[in-house]
Amino acid sequence: MPERKPQDNHVLLVEPQAMLRRTVALTARSLGMAQIHEAASIALARQILRQRPFDGAIIAVDDGDAVHDLGLLDQVRGGDSASSPHMPIAVMADNCTGEQLAQLKQRQVARVIVKPFRAKILLEALASLARQKTD
Amino acid sequence: MIAAPTPDNEAERLAALYALLILDTPREERFDRIVEFASTEFDVPIALISLIDSERQWFKSNVGLTACETGRDVSFCGHAIMRGDIMVVADAAADVRFADNPLVTASPHIRFYAGAPLITPQGHALGTLCIIDTRPRQLDDIEMAILSTLRGLVMQELQSPQGDADARAQTAG
Repeated sequence: MPERKPQDNHVLLVEPQAMLRRTVALTARSLGMAQIHEAASIALARQILRQRPFDGAIIAVDDGDAVHDLGLLDQVRGGDSASSPHMPIAVMADNCTGEQLAQLKQRQVARVIVKPFRAKILLEALASLARQKTD
Repeated sequence: MIAAPTPDNEAERLAALYALLILDTPREERFDRIVEFASTEFDVPIALISLIDSERQWFKSNVGLTACETGRDVSFCGHAIMRGDIMVVADAAADVRFADNPLVTASPHIRFYAGAPLITPQGHALGTLCIIDTRPRQLDDIEMAILSTLRGLVMQELQSPQGDADARAQTAG
């Protein structure tokens, strides 16, 4: 059976900032790291997650308030998506309290990325998700 | 100092630049957002879209400099357009091409420079998207790829009418 290449991995990136999202998607493609599917909002991501399977996801969970929106995580972990409920997920958050970190751990979040959000950090997280997928 | 050289296709290059009708036009948000992103992403005090005119480099977008242009002879970008890939000067003070350049020995005291040439499909290097720091540094492979991506976004904007860009901005998340 042929070995699966990193660029065959499909990863969902949920991030409202268009420049950051686009830069990560295009750079990941140019480096052959993964195929990034972009979602500008959690609502759009919810639909996309039901339409096709992914090998991983990077999700911005801030909703403009101090409260994290964990609905997408619950959707995946609860089996309400076309992906494995155990797919690796990294989360982006403006900040993260101890209580919030515990909530994320409970949902098997592989990595928490806090501000400042940089394309380089997201790409490194993407590489880390790909390694988890192959391990 | 080694003055910025002139490409063999200079006449055609300048014709391609002038055909864009972009020199000396006002700032535009579609370019500024890329340059501001580059400045933040790479944590540098200066980021520019520099277009190389016959005797000057003119900045279409500019973070961190008060000048809107400098002479072409002292420009780093004038060197960067001579090649297809990104030109990195890790420490200008230790580089014979730039060590006594007035942009290095005086304000803005450039030490690090990375310039991605803006090359049209016809092969004309119009200028660069560049990042500048006042301390020596390097770029790793991921950072080089990010700068190359941002260069591509600048080229998309240079080659698309303003109206298309506005429509994209409105539909983008």
